[in-house]
Amino acid sequence: MNTIAIVLVIGLILFTIGLSIFSRRFTRTTADFYLAGRKVGSFSNASAISGDYLSAASFLGVAGAVYASGLDGVWYAAGFAGGFMVVVLFIASALRRFGEYTVADFAFGRFGSNRIRLVTVVAVLITSLFYMAPQMFGAGTTWQVLVGQGFFGMDAYTTGVVVVAAIIAFYVAVGGMKGTTLNQIFQFWWLAFAMTLVVVFSFGSGFSYPQALADASDGPIVNTKAYTVTELTTPDANGVTPYDKAAKVMTAEELATVDEFITSGADGKIPIAFSAGNKLHELRDMLFREPGHRYNTFDQFSMVLALVLGTAGLPHILNRYYTNPSGAAARRSTFWVLVFIGMFYIFAPIAGLAGIGFIKDYLANGGTLAAPTVNGLLVKPDQVMPTLAEILGGQWLMGVVAAGAFAAMFSTVGGLLIAAASAIGHDVYEKYVNPNATEAKRVAVGKIAVLSFAALALFIGLAIPTYGLDQAYPALIAMMVTWAFSVGASAFVPMLLTGIWWKGTTERGATAGMVVGLTSAIVIIFLNIFQQLGTLGKEGILGFIGSLTYPVLFTFPLGLLTIIIVSKIDGQLPKNVDAIWMRIHGTASERHEKQHGLDKVGSMFAKK
Amino acid sequence: MGDTTERATHVQHGDHIDTIESVDLVFRAQRKLSFTYGAVFFAVTLAIPAMSVWWKSWYAVPIWGGFTANYLFVSLLYYVFLWTMAWMYSKQADKLDDRLSTMADEITARTAGEEA
Repeated sequence: MNTIAIVLVIGLILFTIGLSIFSRRFTRTTADFYLAGRKVGSFSNASAISGDYLSAASFLGVAGAVYASGLDGVWYAAGFAGGFMVVVLFIASALRRFGEYTVADFAFGRFGSNRIRLVTVVAVLITSLFYMAPQMFGAGTTWQVLVGQGFFGMDAYTTGVVVVAAIIAFYVAVGGMKGTTLNQIFQFWWLAFAMTLVVVFSFGSGFSYPQALADASDGPIVNTKAYTVTELTTPDANGVTPYDKAAKVMTAEELATVDEFITSGADGKIPIAFSAGNKLHELRDMLFREPGHRYNTFDQFSMVLALVLGTAGLPHILNRYYTNPSGAAARRSTFWVLVFIGMFYIFAPIAGLAGIGFIKDYLANGGTLAAPTVNGLLVKPDQVMPTLAEILGGQWLMGVVAAGAFAAMFSTVGGLLIAAASAIGHDVYEKYVNPNATEAKRVAVGKIAVLSFAALALFIGLAIPTYGLDQAYPALIAMMVTWAFSVGASAFVPMLLTGIWWKGTTERGATAGMVVGLTSAIVIIFLNIFQQLGTLGKEGILGFIGSLTYPVLFTFPLGLLTIIIVSKIDGQLPKNVDAIWMRIHGTASERHEKQHGLDKVGSMFAKK
Repeated sequence: MGDTTERATHVQHGDHIDTIESVDLVFRAQRKLSFTYGAVFFAVTLAIPAMSVWWKSWYAVPIWGGFTANYLFVSLLYYVFLWTMAWMYSKQADKLDDRLSTMADEITARTAGEEA
C-alpha cells in the first residue's frame, strides 16, 4: 500500500467535499444548480470544461494507448483536441445565444415538440452512461494499483468503483453546478500539474523524445494479453496458437512459467507477450512510429471522425456552454480549452512513450512493480501513468499522479451526473411531471437524479470485469470513451448542425435522424463487443458490421441523410420558424446586454 | 431584461431589435466564416489518415530521430494548427459580430423608419 499516495488522494477528496459544501450556500435556484447562474467567465469556464473533458481516458487512457499501440494511440490525443474545433466553429455561440439549460431544451425550442425533447433525453442518458462506464473502470483499476486491497469484504477493484461513485454523488448533489464547476477548475489544474511533473521527471531522467521513439521503433510492437489454457493452445485459421506466437517473443524463463500453467491445467488466465501485426499495411512490421496497430484503412478515418465529431455530441460538455455569459465568451472559452488540453495532449503521448523504456529498464535491473508485467511490459497498459510515476519519482510522484487520476474521474463523472440530473430533473420532471414545483423541490429532484444515476454507474463499473470486457480490448478506457463519442456524434451532432445551420430542418426529420443515428451506433458497438468476446463470428453481413471498431463513418452520415430526406419529404416547418431563427442567430439580446454592461462576468458566489 | 418582446417578424431587447432581414444577414456572414474554416479543418484532419494509408514517405520514413512526418504532425504540429485556427476564427467572429451589430441596428432603424 502506498501511504503517501493514499494521503494525497484523501486530501483531494476532503478538499473536493469542502468546496462543495462551500458552494452549497450559493445554490438556491435551478439556474444555480444546473448552470452556476450563467456567470462563469471564459478562463474559469475553459478550466472547468477542460476538467470536465479530461477524463480517466485522457489521463490514464491516452498514455496507455500510446504505450500499447504507438502512433495509433497518439491519435486519441489529437482527435480529442480536434473535436473542439467543431464545437467552436459550428455550435458554441449559437447554442449559448439560444440560451436554455440543456440540449433537450434546444431540441424542444428549435423544433417545438415534446417527442423530440424526450428522444433527446433518452439519448443524453445513454451517451452519459457510455461515457460513465470507462470512468468507473478507471476508478477500479487505479485503486488496484494505488491501494492494492479492498475493504468491507470487497476486492480492490470493487472498492475503487464504490468509493469514487459515492464521493462524486455526494459532492455533485451537495454543490450543484457551482460546486462542480469550482471542483472541475481545481481538478483540471491538479491533473495538468501531475501530467507536467511526469514529463519533467522523464526528461530529467535522460528521456530524449526522438531517440526514445527510434528505440521503441527498433522492432515490432509487442502486445500483452491474458489467456486460459484452452485459448492458449487453440490454433487460429492459420494453424498458429497464441502459445506459438508467445514462444517467438518471451524469454525461456517466462515461457517455462506458461508451460507450467498449461501442464497444470489451472483455471484462470496467464498473461503472455507476442508480436503485433499491422492492420493497415499488412506486409510491414508493426513499428511503434507507424500507423496500423489498431486501425485498418476504414478505422483510420472512422476513428478520426468519431473523435472530432464526438466532442460536439457530449451532453455534459454542451451543457457547460450555457454557463457562459455570451456567445463571444463561449468562443473565447473554447479557444482557451484548446490551449489547455492541447498542452495536456502533447504531454500524454510523451508519458506513454517514456513508460516503455523506463519500465523495461527498471524491471531489467531487478525492480519489482505492483502492476502485473510480462516480457518487460505492463499487462494492463492503462497502468502506465502511475507505474511510471513510481519509478521516476517514488511514492510522492505516484501520489500526485494517483490524485490526478482520481481528479480526472471526479471532474468528468461530476459533469456527467449534472448532465443526467438536468435531463431527468429539468427536462422530464419540471416539464412534464410537476411543472408547478417550487424551486426547492426542483433542486431536490435534481439531487435525487444525481444519486440514482450514480448508482447506475456503479453497477456498470462492476459489470465490466464480470463480462470480461477488460480482457477483450487493449487500453479499454480509451476504447470505451471512443464508443461514447461515437454515440454522441451519431445521435446529437447531425441534429445540432442541421438545427443551427439549415432552416428547412423539420421536427420529424430531426427526430428520425436522432433515432437512426443513436440506434445504429449502439447496435454496431455491441456487435463489435460480441465479436471481441467471441460470441459473434466474423462471417456474413453481421460479421462485417461487427468488425467495425468505430461506427461513425456510417452512422453520422446515416443520421444526417435521414434528417435531410425526412425533412424534405415532411416539409412542415414550425409555425414560428422565423422567431426561432432570430433566437439562434440574432444578436439583439447581446447588443442590449453589452449596452447595459450585462455581458460582464459577475461572481458565481454573489448573494442574491 | 423585462423589456423583451418576441414577434414573428422581430425580436426586441430594450432598444435593440432583430428583424428577420438583419438576422439573415448575420446568419449568411457567420455561415460563410464557419464553413470556410470548417472546410480547412476537415481537409487537414482527414488528409492525415489519407496520407497514413497511401503515402509511404509520410508514415514510414524517419525525418528526426524516430519521428516520421506523420508522428511529428499528429503529436506536435497538429496542436499548433488547431490553436492558430481557433485564434483566427475567434478574432474574425468577434469582428464580424461587432460589424453586424452595427449593421443590424442600422437595418432595424431603417425598417422602422419605412414603417413609420
